[in-house]
Amino acid sequence: MTGTASRSLSLRDFYQQGMEEIRARFHSTQSARSAGREAITARARLADELVTRLWRQYSVHEALQSGVAIVAVGGYGRSTLYPCSDLDILFLLDNNRTESQVKDPIRRITQEIWDCGLRASPATRLLSECDSLISGNAEFTLSLLDHRFLAGDRKLYDRLDQETLPRLLQREHRTLISRLIELTEDRHAKYAHTLFHLEPNIKDCPGGLRDLHVCQWLTTLYQIAAAAQKRSRTEPVGPADFQQAADFLATVRCFLHYAHDRDDNTLYWSAQDSAAAASLGLGDLGGRIADSSVWMRAFFRNARTISRRANQLLEEAPLLRGTSFVDQLRRKNKRIQADGYYIQHDHVFFDQPATPRSPDPVTDPDIVLHLFEAIAQHGCQISSEAEDRLESALPHIAANLEEGPALWKHLRNILNGPHAGRALRAMHALGILELIVPEFLGVDALVIRDAYHRYTVDEHTFVLIDTLHALPTPAVSTSTGRPNPLREWQSRFGELLKSQPHPELLYLAALMHDVGKGRETPNHCTESARMAKDLFARMDLDAYEAGIVNNLIVQHLALSSALRRDIFDSETLRLVVEKIETPEQLQLLTLLTFADIAAVHPDALTPWKAENLWNLYVGASNFMDRTVDEERVQSRVHSELIQRVTTLEPASSQAIRDFLQGLPQRYLRTHTSEEILQHFHMASRLVRPDAKASADDLAAAVAKAVELDLKQAIPVSEITLVALDRSRLFATIAGGLSAWGMDIVNAEAFSNANGVVVDNFSFIDRFRTLELNPTEHKRFLKSLKDALTGAVPVESLLESRARGGRRRTPKVKVETQVNFDQEASSHSTLLQVIAQDVPGLLRSISISLAEHDCNIEVALIDTEGETAIDVFYITRNGEKLDSARAAQLRDDLIVAIAQNPL
Amino acid sequence: MQKIEAIIQPSKLDAVKDALIELGVQGMTILEARGHGRQKGHTETYRGREYSVDLLPKIKLEMVVTDELLDSVIAAICSTARSGKIGDGKIFVSRIDNAIRIRNDERGDLAI
Repeated sequence: MTGTASRSLSLRDFYQQGMEEIRARFHSTQSARSAGREAITARARLADELVTRLWRQYSVHEALQSGVAIVAVGGYGRSTLYPCSDLDILFLLDNNRTESQVKDPIRRITQEIWDCGLRASPATRLLSECDSLISGNAEFTLSLLDHRFLAGDRKLYDRLDQETLPRLLQREHRTLISRLIELTEDRHAKYAHTLFHLEPNIKDCPGGLRDLHVCQWLTTLYQIAAAAQKRSRTEPVGPADFQQAADFLATVRCFLHYAHDRDDNTLYWSAQDSAAAASLGLGDLGGRIADSSVWMRAFFRNARTISRRANQLLEEAPLLRGTSFVDQLRRKNKRIQADGYYIQHDHVFFDQPATPRSPDPVTDPDIVLHLFEAIAQHGCQISSEAEDRLESALPHIAANLEEGPALWKHLRNILNGPHAGRALRAMHALGILELIVPEFLGVDALVIRDAYHRYTVDEHTFVLIDTLHALPTPAVSTSTGRPNPLREWQSRFGELLKSQPHPELLYLAALMHDVGKGRETPNHCTESARMAKDLFARMDLDAYEAGIVNNLIVQHLALSSALRRDIFDSETLRLVVEKIETPEQLQLLTLLTFADIAAVHPDALTPWKAENLWNLYVGASNFMDRTVDEERVQSRVHSELIQRVTTLEPASSQAIRDFLQGLPQRYLRTHTSEEILQHFHMASRLVRPDAKASADDLAAAVAKAVELDLKQAIPVSEITLVALDRSRLFATIAGGLSAWGMDIVNAEAFSNANGVVVDNFSFIDRFRTLELNPTEHKRFLKSLKDALTGAVPVESLLESRARGGRRRTPKVKVETQVNFDQEASSHSTLLQVIAQDVPGLLRSISISLAEHDCNIEVALIDTEGETAIDVFYITRNGEKLDSARAAQLRDDLIVAIAQNPL
Repeated sequence: MQKIEAIIQPSKLDAVKDALIELGVQGMTILEARGHGRQKGHTETYRGREYSVDLLPKIKLEMVVTDELLDSVIAAICSTARSGKIGDGKIFVSRIDNAIRIRNDERGDLAI
């Protein structure tokens, strides 16, 4: 054996023995969070000793006597060397050396390193070559940011450390920052910009070890940038658990290297199970073994901490742009001041207290929540400085946070903002969300460990809310550049979302729908609903709002379940409609289902599924409309809905039941108990005619029996008519509203078994008559009552409107369609009219119906954009229309609509 | 070895899968599909607009089984996927020359 071979053997033995000791120590301590850090530091020390010994042996070579230094760079330069990582070393040469002079000894050193069992990644550079940033190889310069003297010419190294590199960074720090950001963006894009993967790569994924290095490099470069701009940079404190997160990931990477026996950083499914069994990085569990989903929860929490910090630093880059006076001025001019905070360069900052004795704005919950509303509305970032102040102020915010309607107002504004997901994630990371919704604590980083759920439960919730907000403006292509296959469906569902009057209820249901998963419970839907009730109480939601959100949460899997059945079968539709009850609930639940499926996994919602969901929605919607006439209240039958009303006024229980008898079930489901009681009181005030009166007296008495109630609001007001049923009632009120310039957007007309009608009209006051003239309310109601009682012909009211008005040109032309369905109801004919939504349309239709002696049993009036969609259940002489009458009515309706004088 | 391609109603997928697993069918491919045979689809009206549902949602299952298992697999699919109505679907059978497991180069029946 040659001397070299013999030396290598002893060096190899030395190294291998050291590695075995490190491995054994790691495996015996791997439950400790710091086990990884200790192992990689120990390996770096071992490699240092190896390199130093080698240098001592080879430095006798003349070429290495001076002007050559061995420098540790990259991870090795940070004194961290993972079990299977390469050894990154730089052979630094003085400028008066040539590579050919040192090539041979360097080759032999590198060969010996390989022979010992390490993989060396050597680079040889002149000192002068380290002074320039090579286009296309910024990675080399970045690796130099972490450098450490190992052996050789110390003075040469000192020149690199104290002159060359500082000079280079002074000159090129901005280019390096840009390049680093580009490289990071490219890397993140490969992993779809998310840290949530079923088998994450713990080095390269967002939130992985590479992001940790990015944090360290950017911190260094920002300090250099600040110095260059002659300003101080206060290093943000950052998350308290950042170092712990770094240690955890280091331990996981060591574990994977030992398990795979190579530099493979993928946390495979089986590796997750092994890590959990070893309680890797979790500390002392008192003899218990962690479940794999519990272990992955810890993993995602730590990765999220790293990711959050990296994203903060990446987004700080624009704040460093420009050093010129003009740039500074421009920056100042861009400041947007609010109460207690300001937005500058897309970042939000808290104001400083005006005086030392003034309260700090960050301790005011109102200001804090306004700040998050701004983030939700504008998509800006919270600055690191604001985060640090918020974390310190958390106890004060918690102490001062008031419950009640104001809290709901804040949350509503956040949820409704187009960037709600961003605001909610920031609030969640800082603990603010949990102050408002402590129920959310249980789902923090909660893992549903199967091959289907990609995200933790909290992230799934935020992705769901993002998905909803993105519906109205679907992307043309996906994040990977492919055409978006769901675009058509997102548009369609987006139209549905745009038509919702209370989208915040949908978003609130989305926020709470899975909180029950944090509990040990067989049914997370009901548990989530139960937990949400506490939130409703704290925010003082009214019964109507709370009811909608509660039902959405309870039923949020109903449509997904129905999709597994025959969606075209009427039995499936019947079961769906039984659970969902109202059209508004159906629409909201359809939207929630779309987003819920999409937020399980990026590929979970296929166009196939989206189309099926749409078809299910259409089928259920039509089924609901077609059965409204059939399902009538039987007041003798026990019903919780009836009981809710009678509980409000037990003394009138029987009278209330008589009032409800024969009304469609939909009436009960679409009105609150308080509203129904009010309608009952209105009906009670109707003076019924004496049955023995003459026909004329009877007609006059019926005509006078009218009660009206107005709820004026912006943008949509509501008027309720309760009256004794008679001919042309619906046409008259529709005409009266049109005469006042009111745009009817939807209406419902129901009648009970005792001949009392309850008509609700929602309308937009186009000319703001009622809004700007509160004194006109009385005159408005009197005018309608006069028309309804016959005191003033409604035609005279309409005449002035027809003369004075000018019809606006519609943006979308809608063809008139008139369709009859004789099968939908057992005793009425269903009439559907689709037409251009114009003033006076409803009156024209209802006049035609009256002229054909048709009685309106039920009317469902709706508007979608420029399209009026009017559904009537009509009878004539108590029977369905025959086909001849229906044909004549169709012709007359088309003519009447075309000739509408308004 | 025989390849089975079965077009079934989506609502029957769970029942068919369970039956096949019980029979020992180790692997299958499931595809979302659309189609129709004599069941022609229909037109739905919503908000005044007509939506033609010409191609109805279906599920296509593909699997390769040994000759010995063929008949029982077909019987299992038929019994679990049948509702008696038009639109139940179809099964196609074709011969497979060979199968190879990529991981370890197992061939023939061993690979399935």
